[in-house]
Amino acid sequence: MRSLIAKFAGKLHRDRSAVQGRVGIAVQDDVMISEGAPDLSRLTVDVLSRLSCLGVVAASPSLPFAEFLLRRANADAEAIVPLDTETRTFLHDIPIVRRAELAGDPAAAIAALLSNRKGVIAEGVGIVASGPVTLEQAYIHYSSVFHACYVKYLLDVLQDGFLLPGEEDAFRDFRKTSLRPLTSEELFFSASHLDDPEEVLAEIRTVGRYTVQRGLVDSFFGNISYRVGETIFISQTAASLDELAGCIDPVPMDNRSTTGITASSELLAHRRIYEATGARAILHGHPKFAVVMSMLCEEKGCPVKDCWKDCPNVRMLGDTPVVAGEIGAGGLAVRVPPVIGAPGKAIVYGHGVFTIGRDGFEEAFRSMVDVESRCREEYFRRLDARAGRQSKSE
Amino acid sequence: MSLREHILIVDLSSGRMRREEISPEFLGTYLGGRGLGVRLLRGRHTLSPFDPSMPVVFAVGPLCGTPAPTSARISVVSRSPLTGTVYDCSAGGRFAWRLRAAGLLAILVEGRSARPVVLAVTSAGEELLPASDLWAKGVGDTVRALSDRGSVAAIGPAGENGVLFSSIMMGEGNAVGRGGLGAVLGMKNLKAVTVDGDRVMPVADRERFDRARADVLRLFRASPVIFGELGISEYGTPALVDLMRQRRMAPTENFRRTVFVGAGAYSGPTIRAAYGAKKEGCYGCPIRCKKRASDGRPLPEYETVSHFGALNAIADLHSIVRSNDACNDLGMDTITAAATLSAWGEARGRFPSPEEIGTLLHDIAHRRGEGILLSEGSRRVAEALGMPGVSMSVKSLELPAYDPRGAYGMALAYVTSNRGGCHLRAYPISHEILRKPVASDRFSFSGKARMIKIAEDTNAAVDSLVACKFAFFGASIEEYAELLSAVTGEDHTPQGLKEIGERVYLTERFYNAENGFTRADDDLPARFFSEAGSSGEGIDVPPIDRARFGEELTKYYRIRGLRDDGSFPDGGFLERQP
Repeated sequence: MRSLIAKFAGKLHRDRSAVQGRVGIAVQDDVMISEGAPDLSRLTVDVLSRLSCLGVVAASPSLPFAEFLLRRANADAEAIVPLDTETRTFLHDIPIVRRAELAGDPAAAIAALLSNRKGVIAEGVGIVASGPVTLEQAYIHYSSVFHACYVKYLLDVLQDGFLLPGEEDAFRDFRKTSLRPLTSEELFFSASHLDDPEEVLAEIRTVGRYTVQRGLVDSFFGNISYRVGETIFISQTAASLDELAGCIDPVPMDNRSTTGITASSELLAHRRIYEATGARAILHGHPKFAVVMSMLCEEKGCPVKDCWKDCPNVRMLGDTPVVAGEIGAGGLAVRVPPVIGAPGKAIVYGHGVFTIGRDGFEEAFRSMVDVESRCREEYFRRLDARAGRQSKSE
Repeated sequence: MSLREHILIVDLSSGRMRREEISPEFLGTYLGGRGLGVRLLRGRHTLSPFDPSMPVVFAVGPLCGTPAPTSARISVVSRSPLTGTVYDCSAGGRFAWRLRAAGLLAILVEGRSARPVVLAVTSAGEELLPASDLWAKGVGDTVRALSDRGSVAAIGPAGENGVLFSSIMMGEGNAVGRGGLGAVLGMKNLKAVTVDGDRVMPVADRERFDRARADVLRLFRASPVIFGELGISEYGTPALVDLMRQRRMAPTENFRRTVFVGAGAYSGPTIRAAYGAKKEGCYGCPIRCKKRASDGRPLPEYETVSHFGALNAIADLHSIVRSNDACNDLGMDTITAAATLSAWGEARGRFPSPEEIGTLLHDIAHRRGEGILLSEGSRRVAEALGMPGVSMSVKSLELPAYDPRGAYGMALAYVTSNRGGCHLRAYPISHEILRKPVASDRFSFSGKARMIKIAEDTNAAVDSLVACKFAFFGASIEEYAELLSAVTGEDHTPQGLKEIGERVYLTERFYNAENGFTRADDDLPARFFSEAGSSGEGIDVPPIDRARFGEELTKYYRIRGLRDDGSFPDGGFLERQP
């Protein structure tokens, strides 16, 4: 158990989602074990002791977005509702608990909310998330809340500007120091046309790790595949991209075996992309700026209400098509394959990016870097334009 | 609960029947289904399963009759003649919602009729019909004879003849299987129950309900196990055949091996190609995991194909389908029937051939020839033959098609299950094999005691709602708590539901303890600790480390608040429960 705590504390630091030294984790087996910052560690123990649950993670997020969202919310709001696909599908909404409500027994207040949701934002504390089955699940829920807050805050700022004292300075700091340059430089990709299964597995593991190391994708958010003849080698459902050893399924193209029942929920999308494009490699992840930009539809008077699922249009973000579609059996597999062939990339509304490599992963990786870089540039271009408009009107 | 709920109490000895209101407080603490049934056994839980006073409870849950996905299921609860444990089993089909639509949340049947009868329930009332002309008929003929009376739950010859693993069969082909509750009905001379209601179930907060339902369906779509192109919606549970073979945990030749080279003969794609399998579902279920042949026959589930296949070393799909047909019509549990034949096969040094199996199944159901002994299940067969080690069972319930050497949480869950060797109580296959909601290390005991405890509580709540376990390959208790809140108009949380589940679970364990079950009964067959599975393809399947297994079991007891020997710290548990 202690090794698991160390592992996930390490991941929270490496993926830069938590402030160094501001993580607390508790796990209960037949006894309770906790480690980390003393105050957060105590809090996780107190929360976990009130829940039928295996583990709890509490940490100060490395960015203040969750805190800002909480403070920007209406005084009577009990939750914030990010609208990215991850939240829409798995979190529903994210409960918030304010400082005043934490004054008496903060663990009781947080546990009451966690008894109904996977993660909460506690003012002055950070993000607290639970894992009913495993500690990894608590880490995933923390990451999901972090990701959702990141996306929502960027969208809100673009729409409403800065509303709180200190917010603009914090955002400037984020823009200047937190964003790593996106690049595929100095990464080594195998030569094209791999045929040996062992080499394919090794390449998938390597490229999965690259996506996380380069900050394109958070550990848990994405999937990856490579086609050899009539077999798709694809990462398994709920697998972390930086830990794919033993988590890649060989799936026959003709469905003569159902071994791939544990493959990623996007298996159907991957299969159809291979059929439509003849590509050899597919990379899918949830880079945050691409998710943000995909949700900025400027269509006026559109009758579609459920854009994620029902929008029939193909929009263009630069040279990248954006389509609707939900995960798994939700239509994404229908809408992505027809548009991804020529540009080699596509974005799914509120969800993430698919890129293909006609020969191998290098092209797919470069495309994903390119899409996220352009989305990042476009986001800040629009933000700066908004600031310009605002200052003119002042 | 805001709705006034009623139970029908039927005394077959006197023929008296009455409807009573169930107190809302009572439902709030047990929900319905398994929980309600277990609660209603209190005070009579030490009676013999065949004592006429032992009740059999048919209970639906508070979501039944609404469009809540996968919630039109019924739990049947009594004490098992096969295991001696408290016993519940749920089944889908159409029966559950028609019962609720007849104005009832539950039926409690007690006593023994002097002659065979059918209990017929409608919205207008209930009656006992003479059924001597149905006695000795198969389930198919019985269902056809009663088809104008709505949905039918019936027993076949196996139940009438007291086969200890006889089922209650739903007219649509779903089974209340495993523990022999068909024999309990048979002893009561109750051939069938029919229900036909027409009431519509209200939903307190429709907008909240629709939102929660949409959340559930979105999660179903995101789950490869449910709606993936290789998932159970497409291929039914035989979708697991290829996976279990690949994971090297398919019980083969009475668990002597864990890979069967002929498994492809009955995989999901093979069945689809051979029988033109079509999708069918329980009432209102979007998953539609049931599969029917083009001629309308229900096709077998994963456990059935694997046990009539690998466990008996048979790679003949048509034989397996015929075995399934026979068990369904005779009213017998397929898992125990196949596992009993397999244990018997090992004991005599030869597994039954495909040609022999049909005759043997009929002999079992009619208790004649070899069937007299085989009708008692594998434990009694093995003991009678002087080879108790060949019964691959826990608490006399035969293990299903997940070899515990390939999933240590499953190993632990088999022994802690209150109804014996069952995969569906904690259902760790979900995370150990299917990676839902997250993956856990199948070859490690670390943390498994806590995981099993939490899952047992959660699933006891699920069985009390009564929802289908397959829904939880996508959704979670969080979304179902929201559905329940929307239906009842009262707030329910996942944590609150788990607490109800814990109460149900511990009540069952307490009943078992009062019937003499101890830690010694929480054990796996010795084979799993001394013989390796079939290693290969980079997967090592060693015997389970008994010391580590015991250590984790002790942890489990401590987490449950029990003594290290698995007993309750005091005798007052029931008095402290509502």
